[in-house]
Amino acid sequence: MFPSVRLFSRPTTDSQHFSMPVDVPQANFFILAVAALTLATSLTNLSPSMHRCSIYRFKQLTLIAMAAVLAGCASSGVRNPSGNGVTVLKADEQGFVAGTGVESQDIVSVTDKMARSILEVPQIQRAQGQTRVVLLPIENNTRFAINKDVLLSRIRARLNSQTRGKVMFLARERMAALEREQQLKQSGQVTSGSDPNVVEFQGADFFLTGKLDGSTTKSARGVSDYVLYTFQLIDARTSAIVWEDLAEIKKQGLDDAAYR
Amino acid sequence: MRILSSLLAPLLLSLCLMGCASTNRSGSAGRDALLVKYRAAANHMRRAEFNAARPLLDDAVVTLGGLTAGDVSAQKARGYFQSESRKNFRGEPYERVMAYFYRGILYWMDGEPDNARACFRSAQLEDSDAEARSYQADYAILDYLDGLVTAKLGAGSADFLARARANARLASMPDYDPTANILLFFEMGRGPTKYASGEYGEQLRFKTGTSRSTAVVLTGSGLALRAEPSDDLSFQATTRGGRQMDHVLANKAVFKGTTDGFGDAAIISGAILAGTAGRRTAADEVGAGLLIAGLVSKLISAAATPSADTRAWDNLPNLIGFTSFRLPEGSHELKADFVDASGGVTFSRTISIKVEPGTRDTVLFLSDRP
Repeated sequence: MFPSVRLFSRPTTDSQHFSMPVDVPQANFFILAVAALTLATSLTNLSPSMHRCSIYRFKQLTLIAMAAVLAGCASSGVRNPSGNGVTVLKADEQGFVAGTGVESQDIVSVTDKMARSILEVPQIQRAQGQTRVVLLPIENNTRFAINKDVLLSRIRARLNSQTRGKVMFLARERMAALEREQQLKQSGQVTSGSDPNVVEFQGADFFLTGKLDGSTTKSARGVSDYVLYTFQLIDARTSAIVWEDLAEIKKQGLDDAAYR
Repeated sequence: MRILSSLLAPLLLSLCLMGCASTNRSGSAGRDALLVKYRAAANHMRRAEFNAARPLLDDAVVTLGGLTAGDVSAQKARGYFQSESRKNFRGEPYERVMAYFYRGILYWMDGEPDNARACFRSAQLEDSDAEARSYQADYAILDYLDGLVTAKLGAGSADFLARARANARLASMPDYDPTANILLFFEMGRGPTKYASGEYGEQLRFKTGTSRSTAVVLTGSGLALRAEPSDDLSFQATTRGGRQMDHVLANKAVFKGTTDGFGDAAIISGAILAGTAGRRTAADEVGAGLLIAGLVSKLISAAATPSADTRAWDNLPNLIGFTSFRLPEGSHELKADFVDASGGVTFSRTISIKVEPGTRDTVLFLSDRP
């Protein structure tokens, strides 16, 4: 709309700062000022009737400029002075606070997909009785520090609720507490409903584990993050990987120029 | 009467502008919240209050992980009449790197080396938009630690070590010892500070930090080890190059200078015109109008704020380093001496370590600032 004024900042000798071209795209005030000056210089050669008309216009121009300045100020007030109320979101939808990292909607979609996929594994579908599964920690190879337990916990909960006891998870991460309880029973310090000297800790049929790998690109145009989620079901007897599935999510965004 | 009413207008305008200046004070605590957390976290780290530092750094890392697109404070900071320091503080890359670095140390302490590695990777990414390619993602320690975690988790790490060695400017980077069970992070000196220069303070510059200590010497439990820092935060701060925000600030400075110059010209020419022409003449009216326009222009110039944001994480160290070694299971007492270039001890402290059985690493953090 207005001509762009291209200037250069003063050159500096300090190596810590670099001179650069400067664009002034919004030179509206400058244009108004030039118009006012032009009007002023031409007034001295006008007839009396035209004088009055031009002075009227000049006043109008001043008022418009003042109104523009005031209008600009009106938009600089405090936004949401009373704050924002609580917004309830579904875990699988993206909120208004977002980054390119692992977020709740990713966790929900990935774990839902994995739980569905595990249910179709023939070794589980056709198993006689319960299939015992132990969770092994997920390995995080991305640039995002995450609570890895969330992924496996959600898969476990989905499978427990959907298979109604067909898949049983063993609480190996609680072994220290379980062994302590067994020792208390064996020593007679606490009561026991069965023979405490008989080992009843169950062995696993399968191990469920996973890995997160990532790739990141960053440039002046923004940051892009790709995360590959892979999960495996490993046969505890043969070490064969009986099932594996993946999910991949890519996100990109750009920070405000004030932070670049 | 006309002149009187004409002068009344700029007076009202200036009152309005003054009113505007006070309407947007939404509290510096909000804008500086991250800065407060940064400083507190660094203090807690030095006092070995890691449980107190953890939630502060978690908040910092979560904030840094989010994108700032649409950030209202950032939009305002880019405006002609708002200073850069109106934006929510996130820090320059060297400051953001240190938030991730500290959090990574704590993850490793908690037995989560892969999450620690994630922090070191994010830290390196924060440094990847330096203007000169040779200074992009050039923290030797971050690549070195990335590779060490990878080696400990059983994967190849030769590329990381090669990159770390290529970027090493202070200490040489030793081969990885995946069996090392004691990991020592250390920091020394006072980090860089920021100041503004230029006619309107629109240029952000850095004053380099200092450190009397140049190495840390560990003795005790049959150990005699000297470790030197691998990265210099002052170097990192001053090699980032120009920011995109510098363009915005330069634009603001030009705007401020232009409106100020026009204001001077208009006031002078208006005064001359009004002074030389007869009363109630057209030239007299025009002179008064020019005076008003000049005053308005000066007011606008005064309201323009091109000054650079000099808020800084001012309790950062100047040098950071890392070393690893092996100690047998059991209790150990080590003496850590920070020494200067001539070998004189600048700061000393005793560390008690209990090495637990198992594969979990014992992570130590030392600073020469109490």
